Amino acid sequence: MQALDKALAQVGRVVLGKEEQLKLALACMLARGHLLIEDLPGMGKTTLAHALARVFQLDYRRVQFTSDMLPADILGVSVFDPETRQFSLREGPVFTQLLLADEINRATPKTQSALLEAMEERQVTLDGSTRPLPEPFFVVATQNPVDQAGTFVLPESQLDRFLMRISLGYPSPEVELDLLAGGDLREQVRELKAVINGEGLVKLGRMVETIRATRELLDYVQRLLEATREDDRFVAGLSPRAGLGLLRAARAWALIGGRDYVLPEDVQAVWPAVAEHRLTARQGGSVAAMTQSLLQSVPVVRRA
Amino acid sequence: MARIYQLPTHTRLWLTLAMLLCSLPQLFRGPLWQSGLLVLVVVIRMLVDRQRIGLPGRTARTALLLITVALTFYSFGRLYGPDAGVALLVSLFALKYLEVVKLRDAYVLMVLGYFVCATSLLFYQGILMFFYVLACITLLTACLVGINHSDTSARAPQHLRTAAVMLMQAVPLMVVLFILVPRVAPLWNMQIGSGQVKTGMSDTLSPGEVSSLSRSSEVAFRVAFEGDVPPMAQRYWRGLTLSTFDGRTWRQGLPAGMSAQDYLVGANQTPPHWFSVLKKAALQDALHYQYRVVMEPSHRRWLYAMAVPFVTDPDLRMARDFRLVADSQVDQRLGYQVTSVPSATGAMTLTPQERQLMLTLPASVGPRARSLAMQWRRDADSDSVVVQTALHYFHNEPFYYTLNPPRLEQDSIDDFLFRSRRGFCEHFASSFTFLMRAAGIPARVVAGYQGGQLNPVDGHLVVRQYDAHAWSEVWLDGRGWVRVDPTAAVAPQRIESGLQAALDAQGNTASNLGLDFSGFSGASWFGQIKIWMDYVDFRWQTWVLDYDTGRQLAFLSRIFVSVTPMKIALALLVCLGLPLLLILGWMLWRRERHPLSQEEKEFNRLFRLVERRGLTLAPGTTPRQLAEAISDRWPKAATQALHWRQRYERLMYSALPGDKKKQLYHLRRLRNRLYKLLY
Repeated sequence: MQALDKALAQVGRVVLGKEEQLKLALACMLARGHLLIEDLPGMGKTTLAHALARVFQLDYRRVQFTSDMLPADILGVSVFDPETRQFSLREGPVFTQLLLADEINRATPKTQSALLEAMEERQVTLDGSTRPLPEPFFVVATQNPVDQAGTFVLPESQLDRFLMRISLGYPSPEVELDLLAGGDLREQVRELKAVINGEGLVKLGRMVETIRATRELLDYVQRLLEATREDDRFVAGLSPRAGLGLLRAARAWALIGGRDYVLPEDVQAVWPAVAEHRLTARQGGSVAAMTQSLLQSVPVVRRA
Repeated sequence: MARIYQLPTHTRLWLTLAMLLCSLPQLFRGPLWQSGLLVLVVVIRMLVDRQRIGLPGRTARTALLLITVALTFYSFGRLYGPDAGVALLVSLFALKYLEVVKLRDAYVLMVLGYFVCATSLLFYQGILMFFYVLACITLLTACLVGINHSDTSARAPQHLRTAAVMLMQAVPLMVVLFILVPRVAPLWNMQIGSGQVKTGMSDTLSPGEVSSLSRSSEVAFRVAFEGDVPPMAQRYWRGLTLSTFDGRTWRQGLPAGMSAQDYLVGANQTPPHWFSVLKKAALQDALHYQYRVVMEPSHRRWLYAMAVPFVTDPDLRMARDFRLVADSQVDQRLGYQVTSVPSATGAMTLTPQERQLMLTLPASVGPRARSLAMQWRRDADSDSVVVQTALHYFHNEPFYYTLNPPRLEQDSIDDFLFRSRRGFCEHFASSFTFLMRAAGIPARVVAGYQGGQLNPVDGHLVVRQYDAHAWSEVWLDGRGWVRVDPTAAVAPQRIESGLQAALDAQGNTASNLGLDFSGFSGASWFGQIKIWMDYVDFRWQTWVLDYDTGRQLAFLSRIFVSVTPMKIALALLVCLGLPLLLILGWMLWRRERHPLSQEEKEFNRLFRLVERRGLTLAPGTTPRQLAEAISDRWPKAATQALHWRQRYERLMYSALPGDKKKQLYHLRRLRNRLYKLLY
């Protein structure tokens, strides 16, 4: 897929040295899933979201979540127009193609759930009238893992709405040097060339559905899901929705890899991003390590 | 989905084939018109199927049925009984085939087919027929599979495969049932093939009778010895004793004033005095032979055994002249167990009536022979000297042993003894017995077989028609009945090496006499095949067909110590129920986890290979990682590993259509190459 490679190259120009995370973000978009980025401030979350929007020619809005925010601040509000003597809807920031929800865990659960509902349903109901969200519609949410004071941690049920969770992390020394040597990031983002438009992205999303997954591969995916449920180290196993998401993500990953069929490697590549945030450890320990260990222990091809 | 009540086209071929093959053995036996009927039916059916003509109407079919019944009655004189009944069954089977339109008709036809198959075994139970019937049953089952197939595009050969697999699965069940299910005596006794004239010994002996038998190499009976095998020259298989002579023909004769009950001893009757004495004498003697005889159908009642035969079978009787007699004709192969005690003959007595019978000669026959015998009598001081003199006479005078003796004139005894002097065993036995009786020594002719050939595979003895023989027995006071074989005095090779050797020694070869000595000969592959065929046939008989109630009990008591119906029922339950439970469990387990596919096995094989070569891999290794691990560790195998990986991924995950078998074949080859490279 040349267009996808170009898109990756474009975004890579502003988010340096994070090819893996970029690919995952792209796969998440292709799989029509929402992305949660968990990182410290200033790691390039906004730049990434912005760059993605530029490259795919998407409408882009950013909302900074705070504890005093109300659902209406995101979804919109009905206002009475004295001239027409009618209520009209003033659309909130959610009516866009790519929404960056910054520090989502700072909002109250009420506000969070309003957004998450919109994410899942891809439509907004206000005052009894339902309005569809634009197509495509992506949410890139960020949360700060360290500063937990005055935050409302997203419950598991809400986390399940995000197809993937990634973290960018600090850049490597060489990359950081390049970063420092480079000019204004905002300027650079604005200079990025569009590769595909939103319509093209929707088309690609449909293409993901046609990527073939054989019975043997589905078997492997099922074994992975099964393993999370049978492992006592986790409080609960992955849901069927997670499984469907995993397969969709793997298909998208295969598409990025230029294949029309899914390999076990595709599943393994998206596995941490899809599974980690959905799993909770029973007695402490690194969920990441546990999730990764399942890839080692679950046989790819059935053993006798 | 609505059932199609029409017979599917892909089953028609099998149905026709099954019908023809099931009827075939009966056609060889049945009247000729039956074959004609079958051909007619198949032709009509073919025309109907190609829509050249319509299906014959009710009137036509009824007419055909009536004609068939009439023809059957014409051919057999009746409509019941095994021959006519089976013929009628086969005809009706063919007629039913004609009117098969719906599935229901096909079911009727198939059930009839199984039945017709079973009737084939009524007449011949050899192993070849068994396999033939098995093939027919497979075909019929293929038809059943076919008509129950909902897929109208199914292909005919698949049905046959399914049927074969089903039958194979039924084999263990068959074996268990065969071994365990009690044998029930038949509800009615069928006289099958009675009255058919076949080669074999008749109940009279006249010149030329045995020599005509000698032209046949058909098997008369087979013997499996337990323990010692008597030497060739001692293997005299007695069948009949002939004690009345009319100048040309010897016949069986019963001494005057002896009741049949006193003459024949069965297992279920109080034995007469002579039998008790004989039995006691037999028990004292150490030399005895134990063997099992399997007789081919002779359609006679007498059996063959060496002197003095003791049996335990309730259906057999022993006669006062040391013969075995069956209660009914031997119309099917018959197996019986015998213990022979040769020396027990001395315990027998001779009643005055018997002496009288054994000395009687027809008046006006053989005057010269009588005077010769009287002269020997005068010169000798004991009976045994007379016997010796007579044997010397046969040995020293120019007597010839030949299969083609010249015709004898009116007086068969004198003409043979003093003119032609060329004869076969019956001539020698007949004239010798005559001479003995003329000399006042009680004597009789014994007809049976002598010798036989050992099968090199398991050492069982095969006695063929050309082993037929006749000899004499003389009564010597103090020694009882003594066997004397005058043929041995003329042609000792006959006794020691068989007929072929004897004829060779006399300057005749089998081929220029037009004889068929197709016994076991030589090491040619054809000979070897015959030996093995004979062996298989014999074992089939002794192990399978002769497995009757008695042998079943004997076999089962080896396992259960004492056989009770309870134990048999339990054994049946365990042998049948346990496998069924296991299969059920396996099927349930299989439903939970479908078995590993060939592709998955292929991966596992390579995985294990790499592990055996000392590389530890995580269970979650993908095919690609496996290939990479191989090329990291064994760089020279990198190319092959790459090829393997590409092929494997394509096969397992690309879901592209393709020849799976071929792909697997390539994978296997690549793995084999890797096998050599990974060191």
